[in-house]
Amino acid sequence: MPNIKILSILSLAALAVGQWFIWSYAPLEETMGVVQKIFYIHMPLAWWALVSFFVVFVASIRHLMKRDAGSDILAGAAAEVGVLMSGLALVSGSIWGRAAWNVWWTWDPRLTTTLIMWFVYAGYLVLRGSGMGGERRALVCAVLGVVAFLDVPLVFYSARIWRSVHPAVLASQGGGLEPEMWRTVLVNLGAFGVLWLTLVLGRFGLGRAEERARALLLGGREGA
Amino acid sequence: MLRRAAAIAGKDLRLSVGGGQGLVQAMLLGLLLIFLFSLSRPTGELVSGQAAAAIFWLASAFGLVLVFNDLFSLEEVGGCRLGLLSSPVPEHSVWLGKGLAGFLLLVLSQMVFLPAAAVFLGQDIRGSVPTLVLALIGVDWGLAALGALLGALAQGQAARESLFSVILFPLLLPVLLGGIRIFAGVFSGEPAPDEALWAAIIVAFDAVFSAAGAFLFPFLYTGEE
Repeated sequence: MPNIKILSILSLAALAVGQWFIWSYAPLEETMGVVQKIFYIHMPLAWWALVSFFVVFVASIRHLMKRDAGSDILAGAAAEVGVLMSGLALVSGSIWGRAAWNVWWTWDPRLTTTLIMWFVYAGYLVLRGSGMGGERRALVCAVLGVVAFLDVPLVFYSARIWRSVHPAVLASQGGGLEPEMWRTVLVNLGAFGVLWLTLVLGRFGLGRAEERARALLLGGREGA
Repeated sequence: MLRRAAAIAGKDLRLSVGGGQGLVQAMLLGLLLIFLFSLSRPTGELVSGQAAAAIFWLASAFGLVLVFNDLFSLEEVGGCRLGLLSSPVPEHSVWLGKGLAGFLLLVLSQMVFLPAAAVFLGQDIRGSVPTLVLALIGVDWGLAALGALLGALAQGQAARESLFSVILFPLLLPVLLGGIRIFAGVFSGEPAPDEALWAAIIVAFDAVFSAAGAFLFPFLYTGEE
């Protein structure tokens, strides 16, 4: 797949540029120092994870309407990348929390929403691999893909109210950033976007190949 | 549609109460959970209202899984699901009927959990009883709407109970948090200042997943094995 090769090289280059922005261009944050640089990786990871979950939602609706294999494969690919990226966002967020507030975990609405979504979509991936029959599995996963995304605003809002009564450990992230810091955030958002696209398209291509291999195998069995 | 849903709910309730395993299992597991969590209370100390409310709703969530697994397994014997699907009953009625039956069975099991929370966790209803009843109905509605939708996952036994709970629990978080916060206020006698906001979340959850359940259930409940 030549496009994936080009995209892979592009994403490597974009990530390298992003790293240069993080370490050389963006100024050192006064109070937090070098630990603040986690933010430039953490935020794009969380952002693209949410985009992945939205893609799962749209592809799932499309699958329910059209029953095509492509939408199902795309939903699966996006969910895998989403779980990976939200997992990394959680780990980087936890390291940030430990360095900044001396706690590994705090009830922040964004962090909590990311964790709950990680649980939901990890369950979704378990369901995909549960050995259910082909078309039935695709339908069940599509229904879960829709239901899971409908839950996102409710989870976020409830996590926000839950926290408001408790003492807030966390100040608003990203507030009061220098212009150089904002540029670094945007560059990394773009770089991780290219990486996200590469991973999703790569996994989608792999899913298509798996489907073709299965069809060939079945055709071969029938022919024998 | 409503009449048919009521017929399905009636059939499920008769089967579950008279000889079914789901309700008894749900009650026993919930009781066991409440008792086991009471062990976390150091001797002579009280469990906070919020901790007791969280334990109560955790027991209810586990009960929900067992209740809906049982309700959907009723038609797995002897091809009854195919019979139900080929009858003139629309799938929506099946969802509504299962949801209604699940709701009532859940309320029944909570009638056991509530006194158990009083006994094992040392709680008392110090707040308003109507608030407790309304919150119970609101949260249970949301639980039943989603339970009746995703319970159909267990169809054909390809997905097991464990998978059902792994998928269901994180989705239930908003409505469970609402239930915990309101129940904590009722147990402690100090209502949460943001009770109205939690009530709004519970109503929104019920509305979203009732609509989603009604729309999506026919995709899940099919004749496939």
